[in-house]
Amino acid sequence: MAMAALRREGKRFLLSPNPAIAVRSAVLSDELTAPLSTRSISTQVVRNRMKSVKNIQKITKAMKMVAASKLRAVQVRTENSRGLWQPFTALLGDTPSVDVKKNVIVTISSDKGLCGGINSTSVKVSKALYKLTAGPEKETQYVILGEKGKVQLIRDSKASIALTITEIQKNPLNYTQVSVLADDILKNVEFDALRIVYNKFHSVVSFIPTISTILSPEAVEKESEAGGKLGDLDLYEVEGGETKSEVLQNLAEFQFSCVLFNAVLENACSELGARMSAMDSSSRNAGDMLDRLTLTYNRTRQASITTELIEIISGASALTG
Amino acid sequence: MTLKLCVLTPNRIILDSEVKEIILSTNSGQIGVLPNHAPIATAVDIGLLRIRLNDQWLGVALMGGFARIGNDEIIILGNDGEISTDINPQEAQEALEIAEATLRKAKGKRQVIEANLALRRARTRVEAVNVIS
Repeated sequence: MAMAALRREGKRFLLSPNPAIAVRSAVLSDELTAPLSTRSISTQVVRNRMKSVKNIQKITKAMKMVAASKLRAVQVRTENSRGLWQPFTALLGDTPSVDVKKNVIVTISSDKGLCGGINSTSVKVSKALYKLTAGPEKETQYVILGEKGKVQLIRDSKASIALTITEIQKNPLNYTQVSVLADDILKNVEFDALRIVYNKFHSVVSFIPTISTILSPEAVEKESEAGGKLGDLDLYEVEGGETKSEVLQNLAEFQFSCVLFNAVLENACSELGARMSAMDSSSRNAGDMLDRLTLTYNRTRQASITTELIEIISGASALTG
Repeated sequence: MTLKLCVLTPNRIILDSEVKEIILSTNSGQIGVLPNHAPIATAVDIGLLRIRLNDQWLGVALMGGFARIGNDEIIILGNDGEISTDINPQEAQEALEIAEATLRKAKGKRQVIEANLALRRARTRVEAVNVIS
């Protein structure tokens, strides 16, 4: 109370005898807002910054909780879908080192941002794979699922993009939707081998970029002659169709849609997990920033009070002494 | 001698147990599988899968897929499936009637094909309910 009264008196002393000083401080405070006197400017500015940082912290905390709740639901479905592609791998084997003429790289990325580095890692892996599978007489194309991947790849590989699909997560993911997608891809793109690039969800803090390889039926036939895992395919008597190749084609298509379904789910899980941890670290950073700003604020406030006091006292002593 | 059976769909694992015998419908007819069967990889049609565990028959309505049989191990991957005990007989019957009505109203090749598929699926579910009874 006494302080406030002193401050008011000090202002009266300040403004009337020293208009020159007031002008100078107005020039200095060009970029700052609405000063009552030269002292309270910085506290106002710091207070505004604190308010905005606090709002950001609230938003990021809310986003983290939303991501956490969505993650729980998707994780259950992902784990259920994992059992689906394992029999295919047991039957047909996974041959990432297969050497074929036409490769198609299916990159799965997210539509929304603020999810950490998972999209950049997917794109990096896809680009590396492109270089790896390029060569004389070989052709590699991209099929991109998700807005973020599209934006990054369209910049330098526009010519090799065969198909882009966005907004897959608008409705909750289900197998029918993905099988329609798989159908689309199979119809429009010619391939000998499909390589699906996605982030596999190992845990809430670890997402590993993974590549799943699926061969077209002709490639399967070639490889089975070469021996190895696929050579055992001939041990099986194949029924359920007129010819073996028809059944193999059916099988390859089914395999593609199952693996794609699992890949899309895993990527969705990874996206949510990455978003959780990104939002968590940004809330923590906002908290740190808020602490530092509070200290600055208090220091500025105390400094301004001290300066006013000094002026009042020196003004008063100048009058009396 | 038992067979290890695993029935999987994209959404969940339907069944994972030891059984004595299964009867599977493929598009070239129904095949029965007993222990020590020859290795087979086959496509599965939309139809009923009958499973025998200890003289009791269980039905699973399977909507197409693939089956691999080898070494007394059967893995069936289906697009969708339901165990007969999980199907509500009333609701299955109603679904069948709705599917029949849709088929009658369908015009154009594509609608007819879709209606046919829906009808087969509904019929399979009704059959599944009737298997135990």
